[in-house]
Amino acid sequence: MRKTLFILLCFTSVRSFAQEDLDKLIHIDGVKNEKVTATFKSGNLINLKTTETIHRHEMDFRVDHRFGDIAGSAGGGKNFFGLDNSTDIRIGFDYGLLDNLNIGIARSKGATEVRQLFEGNVKYRFIEQTVDNNVPVSVAFFGSTTLSAMEASPDKSSAASFEDFNDRLSYVTQLIIARKFSSNLSLVVVPTYLHRNYTAYNDQNDVFALGIGGRAKVSNRIALVADYTFPFRKSSNKKYREDVSGQHYYNALGVGLEMDTGGHIFHLNFTNATAIQESQFISETNSSWGKGQFRWGFSIARRFNFNKKKHIE
Amino acid sequence: MNKINIYIALFMMLISMTTFAQQKASFVSKETSITFFSNAPLEDIEAKSILGASAMNLQSGDIIFRVKNTSFQFDKKLMQEHFNENYMESDRYPLSEFKGKVENADKLTKDGSYTLNVTGTLQIHGVTKPYSTKAAFIVKDGTLKAVTSFQVRLADHKISIPSIVGKKIAEVVKITVDATYKP
Repeated sequence: MRKTLFILLCFTSVRSFAQEDLDKLIHIDGVKNEKVTATFKSGNLINLKTTETIHRHEMDFRVDHRFGDIAGSAGGGKNFFGLDNSTDIRIGFDYGLLDNLNIGIARSKGATEVRQLFEGNVKYRFIEQTVDNNVPVSVAFFGSTTLSAMEASPDKSSAASFEDFNDRLSYVTQLIIARKFSSNLSLVVVPTYLHRNYTAYNDQNDVFALGIGGRAKVSNRIALVADYTFPFRKSSNKKYREDVSGQHYYNALGVGLEMDTGGHIFHLNFTNATAIQESQFISETNSSWGKGQFRWGFSIARRFNFNKKKHIE
Repeated sequence: MNKINIYIALFMMLISMTTFAQQKASFVSKETSITFFSNAPLEDIEAKSILGASAMNLQSGDIIFRVKNTSFQFDKKLMQEHFNENYMESDRYPLSEFKGKVENADKLTKDGSYTLNVTGTLQIHGVTKPYSTKAAFIVKDGTLKAVTSFQVRLADHKISIPSIVGKKIAEVVKITVDATYKP
């Protein structure tokens, strides 16, 4: 009896050993220094940019729209909760020169005194988070130049009373730092420097700002997105401008839903910012969530691929 | 020396002998390429990983394949992102694995060409399903080459394709495996 038990034991141990053996013999290599992908699904959250770039030879066509105030004195039922108005519309094309270097052009209406905006921009993601966490964050540079094509305003105190061509230009420089904490959560911090060559009387030319934002997945294809931008305005300039215009400056807060349909990215959002462009919404958000001055906005982005079809080797 | 000790000695011997035999009979393929091909009305999609691994035992016929989902390379990078993010959910299910048996694997000890049945279970997207297919083996100078292809129905592995991209992604994709084994 004891003998058979022993033999049985011997065989079972050998058997399991063999199975484990094959398991141990193979070890698979992943891609070396594998980079974290899809920190965000799109180059934009609501108001802020993300670290995402489109790949080489891809083009992204993007339309952003902001309606009028939903509530408050300028909203309500009489203009169908803002849907009768649009405070800003932006149409843009981005192109991937490299997988991490994009250039773009855009036209937007402009939501402040300064209108008819043409924008040229560049985004370069120079640090990429890795799966093994040796590089904990992705970092991108974003720079844009905006030109106003409108007729100069005769009102000398206006931000649009341009005297020469240079007065029409504004520059935005951002460092976008993002981390994908899990497959469901990514956060971004965006230190920003905004320079306007020309401003309204006694406004400041240089504005520093800090943006924070995030994306939390609800399902595989739907995510919650939110961002908040805090401009560091000088209190003396701010007070003067607020006294003269009778308008207050607010920080831009946006919350929304992001839907990925495979090729298209839709954003449905609510924000108090009237403008879409960085050169305007950061420094010139005069609408407040508390007064019902937030609006429905959406963006549609469609990617096109110009890579030649090739056989994969 | 009592009886127990003799048994233990015998037991140890047996283990060492078997493992020794095992190692000789085990073949490993470090060059395992796995390709999948989706043929849909609007688009053909092909992706390939050359970073798969496989091992087989000629005595028992045991065979195992394993590949990291993120190692599949696509022509279009956006597709690669969608593959990992939306369909395979590679964060949650990083590996795809086949474990099975090659019938009459002992034939493969001699040079020649053989077509043998392979049966086992395939785990993709966290769902394990039984599969069986025929594989072609070529044995020459101690090297063993194996090629096979089979069909995988995405729905079997709970990979759902939204109707909006239904014409771009096939319901059934063809998987081709190519491995070169050495002892």
